[in-house]
Amino acid sequence: MRHFFLLLILPLTLLAHMSIAVSYPYIGAITKSIGGEHIDTVVLAKGNWDPHFVIPRPSLIAKMRSADALIMNGAQLEIGWLPPLINRAANPKTQPNAKSFLNLSQHIELIHKPKDVDRSGGDVHPDGNPHFHLAPENILILAKTIEEFLISLDVEHKEVYEKNYAAFHIEWSKNIELWKNKMAKHEGQKVIQFHDNLAYFNNAYGLKTIGTIEPLPGIPPSSKHTIELIKLINEQKPSCILHDVYHSTKTAEFISEKTGVKIILMPHDIGSLESTQDLKSLFDYLTGALQ
Amino acid sequence: MKKILLATALCATLIHAADVLPVEKRTFDQSKYIPDISLVMDASYVSRSVSDDEVVHLEVPGVAHGLIGSHEHGGETHATYNADNGFNLNYAELVLSSSVDPFFTMDGVFHFSPNGVHVEELFFTSTALGNGLRAKGGKFNSNFGYLNEQHHHAWDFADMPLVYEAFLGMHGLNEVGAQIQWTAPTPFYLMAGVEVLQGENEQMFGNNTIHLSELNASNADVTYEKAPSMFVGYVKTSFDIEDTTVLAGLSYIQGSSRIDHTEDEEEPHAFSGDSKLYGADLVIKHAFDSYSSLKWQNELLYRDMDGIQYGINTATGFAGSIDITKKQAGLYSQLIYAIDRNYKVGVRYDSIFKNDIEKSAGEAAFAPHDLDKYSVMAEYSTSEFARFRLQYDRNNAMFNEEGNRQSIDTIILQANISIGAHGAHSF
Repeated sequence: MRHFFLLLILPLTLLAHMSIAVSYPYIGAITKSIGGEHIDTVVLAKGNWDPHFVIPRPSLIAKMRSADALIMNGAQLEIGWLPPLINRAANPKTQPNAKSFLNLSQHIELIHKPKDVDRSGGDVHPDGNPHFHLAPENILILAKTIEEFLISLDVEHKEVYEKNYAAFHIEWSKNIELWKNKMAKHEGQKVIQFHDNLAYFNNAYGLKTIGTIEPLPGIPPSSKHTIELIKLINEQKPSCILHDVYHSTKTAEFISEKTGVKIILMPHDIGSLESTQDLKSLFDYLTGALQ
Repeated sequence: MKKILLATALCATLIHAADVLPVEKRTFDQSKYIPDISLVMDASYVSRSVSDDEVVHLEVPGVAHGLIGSHEHGGETHATYNADNGFNLNYAELVLSSSVDPFFTMDGVFHFSPNGVHVEELFFTSTALGNGLRAKGGKFNSNFGYLNEQHHHAWDFADMPLVYEAFLGMHGLNEVGAQIQWTAPTPFYLMAGVEVLQGENEQMFGNNTIHLSELNASNADVTYEKAPSMFVGYVKTSFDIEDTTVLAGLSYIQGSSRIDHTEDEEEPHAFSGDSKLYGADLVIKHAFDSYSSLKWQNELLYRDMDGIQYGINTATGFAGSIDITKKQAGLYSQLIYAIDRNYKVGVRYDSIFKNDIEKSAGEAAFAPHDLDKYSVMAEYSTSEFARFRLQYDRNNAMFNEEGNRQSIDTIILQANISIGAHGAHSF
């Protein structure tokens, strides 16, 4: 009889590692680095699409339903797609304010918090710019946050998570130095963006965004704004247009044609481009993109 | 003068007090607990080839009457959306939602229209059951089929598909009751749900006594059916193939019917019996990128109503009765192309293709089988919060009292605007 029980329990213990649902690929990568073999990550959004607009496919409900924890970016980046999934999955472990729910934005000091929040100013994020993971220093803070989160859920493997975090910290810190050296020559450069999703990256390396192709956050380009932008580019001579991978580059190409300013595609997450398949290659690419 | 001075002084003190005490420092401030609030308005300009007076008398023979326009029923005015030629203020919808405690959330949807205020939805939903279980109680849109649970402002056309409106009325399956859904622990989406509902749908279900004896003392009343009298079950599944999502579902309802049209001016009648409604839905959505997609949405409804029909003699109030069975089916199929974040275009085909009515006596029912409707639409959204839609449809399903088909051409220019909390829709 005892053998029978052992046989029953054995497969359960083999599967006992935690399944952690995460909203974006970059969160999955950090979580995997810290959690190692003790966790499985389930990434909900795709890295090559607009993080603001994710189709709440029912298959994501199935993924959330069985998750042991949920880690999200927060700062309202997921406001348009995650709430109905949380609601439908009805998983107590993925409910906001559950012990196993982590909102990363609460652990980062957000920049560009608007003084006035009003939709006449476009689709503003009231808590500040939510694209904080594109500053390499912030990745360390997020990794530390996730380490503490994993320990709080699974204290049994505390040492493993601490060890993995320590290793990640050493490796990442080295990279930060490399990237800093690589980017030093670009300090002070003026750039144009489509949407200000490189705010933290630009902050980290002293790049200055002087204008965006969208007239207001979330509002598609207008001809009036484009003409004004061309005028601004001619006056201020920015070095390039840093463009995300998910908006059409049509307007950027038009501006580039008129002004001679080149367009550089900037991936925002793992999987945005073929060559950015992990966290390190994402930042390698970003820091090497400006010539 | 003294009063004015006093009032001014009071105001000044109040304003000053407000300066001194910012919201977050008020001792018993509860503003952080304000639920998410949003307000949705829907208004339209309508141009219809048939006059408002005529359109209310048109019917889908053997299926439904009074579908378009506004009509009186039970002392209340009912109006479909876009009821009149010219401008229509269809509704303002006030939505409030918040978590209640660690175990429930609550949602309220209040529907304000020129005909009054209705509680469209008011329900609590469990969040703590786990194991894929979710329970809901209150008044809500049934999760039968695909479209039924969605609110009007989430639809891709300004009006309901013909078969839905004809079988279930303009509110669809909107009932008081309880729902339990279970999501299976499978790698793909698999959900099963059951609902027990009060059962008071105006077109198909009901459980109240029909007081035929009030019309003529020799009539016997149609007895009531004990409520709740409507039972719903469904299974839904979904999977992805690359960037294409397939969602399919099968739904079933069974319930008692007590349809009281004894006060109608034209051909007053009543129906009592049992009804079954079967639904199959299939939605396939392919996403080209973050903003562009193609969505093919289909639903098939089949109903089987079996009971007694009472015809009321308008002069004497005497109710004659016959056995009647109705086996009717219809479908809609629509294709929506989202070009980018601002533009969408779509086509829809509606059909009621089965309309079999058997009577135990009297002349055969007039029940044509070729009832259809064609719609096209184009919409422009300035943002997620404001949408303008131009729709044209040709409806070949409506007949006048003489049994002649009256094709209706309708142009609808619709404005749907919302403010407040960001609404996130399910798939």
